[in-house]
Amino acid sequence: MMSNEDSWRPRLAARARLKFDAIANQEMILFPEAALALNETGAAIVRLCDGARSINEIVDQLSEKYGDADRDALMREVMDFLATIRARGLLR
Amino acid sequence: MIAAPRPYTLVAELTYRCPLRCVYCSNPVDFHRSRDELATEEWRRVFSQAAELGVVQLHLSGGEPVLRGDLVELIQHARACDLYTNLITGGTLLDEEKLLRFRAAGLDHIQLSIQGAARESAEMVAGVRSYRKKLDTARLISKLGFPFTLNVVIHRLNIAEVPELIRTALELGAQRLELANTQFYAWAAENRSALMPTREQYDRAEGIAREAIAKYRGTLEIVFVQNDYLSGEPKPCMGGWGRSYMCINPTGEVMPCHAASVIPGMRFETVRDGALEKIWRDSPAMNAFRGDDWMLEPCRSCARKEIDFGGCRCQAFMLAGNAAAADPICRLSPHHGVVESMRKNSSADDELIYRDVKTSRHLSRRPSIPS
Repeated sequence: MMSNEDSWRPRLAARARLKFDAIANQEMILFPEAALALNETGAAIVRLCDGARSINEIVDQLSEKYGDADRDALMREVMDFLATIRARGLLR
Repeated sequence: MIAAPRPYTLVAELTYRCPLRCVYCSNPVDFHRSRDELATEEWRRVFSQAAELGVVQLHLSGGEPVLRGDLVELIQHARACDLYTNLITGGTLLDEEKLLRFRAAGLDHIQLSIQGAARESAEMVAGVRSYRKKLDTARLISKLGFPFTLNVVIHRLNIAEVPELIRTALELGAQRLELANTQFYAWAAENRSALMPTREQYDRAEGIAREAIAKYRGTLEIVFVQNDYLSGEPKPCMGGWGRSYMCINPTGEVMPCHAASVIPGMRFETVRDGALEKIWRDSPAMNAFRGDDWMLEPCRSCARKEIDFGGCRCQAFMLAGNAAAADPICRLSPHHGVVESMRKNSSADDELIYRDVKTSRHLSRRPSIPS
């Protein structure tokens, strides 16, 4: 699963789904027995994880959205973030 | 009064009816008295109100929730409220057609229980023939691609099977395995000495589980729920009374946890009496042990009171006779000796008491001193 990051097209695991929480006014990932609250950037990344886009494409979309961002720094942030939620079994 | 926090989890015990007779059942010992289950419309209203209140996790539990003829409608409504909907089932009444209907209704996840890794020991605990059917159901769930957790309540009679249980979960394609050591309430408390593992058994099982947790990380999430008698650590029960969790029983009583009815004097309001939001916020039962004003020493001045909340209130009542006392699991409790002796009282010879209506009637007739 970790072998080839270039061809990885992440999407949420079958057991996880994204929910907009109107009370806290933020997105959260729901999964068995728990919920993970996301900030705006985190939510933007997860929304792009549709199983069709590669990580490169996700970063392209985000850098377009955030304009002035340093692409290498953004790439590192996205990779770190995805690794964190993948370690919890929430991405495939 | 403490400002009511936001509840995140609702356990909806849809019925106490169940085809199994598990000796560790967490339903109240006097469950036979429970009649007049909430109707479909009442549960639908409860789910809507729970979602508005902030609940995001819904567990459809029992008894055996599949016995409810309206389960598809309830799942549909729960999903319409955007609740993460988990079905907690024994699996003996499921078939492909039902599972497909649940999926179409939007069911997010299934938690299936088995009682052991071998037919004979598992059926001795379940009290009915059920093992093969459960495994067939597990394979079906897996084949249909449902996310699922395999849950096994662990005790003296199956604790040596932990390695096989891990293999079984892997073979069945579960994403999660709960090795849930018995919590000694209700029927499990009736069977305490028969179900209490020895120190050696427990430590061995825990070691195996720890290794497996690391080994299968990313493939199978393994959760080892501790036996507090043997771990020696008071559990932060329900993450604190009335803090993030509520349980509603088949007749609609709103409780901070499913065991709380053992505490004398607890009167639970029902969802038939009023809005869930008001019950959660204002009901005396929900506020009885909120915050820490109720705490006695040694909890009151303890540095860990924000971590374990003084342990479990039901256990404090059951073992110390006072629901506001420190949980006797804690070494600092003046009643800790009771736990010491119960921990050592592990007996392979004790007869098992099975959970069924007849036994429930019988046990409810036992003489007791009203408090």
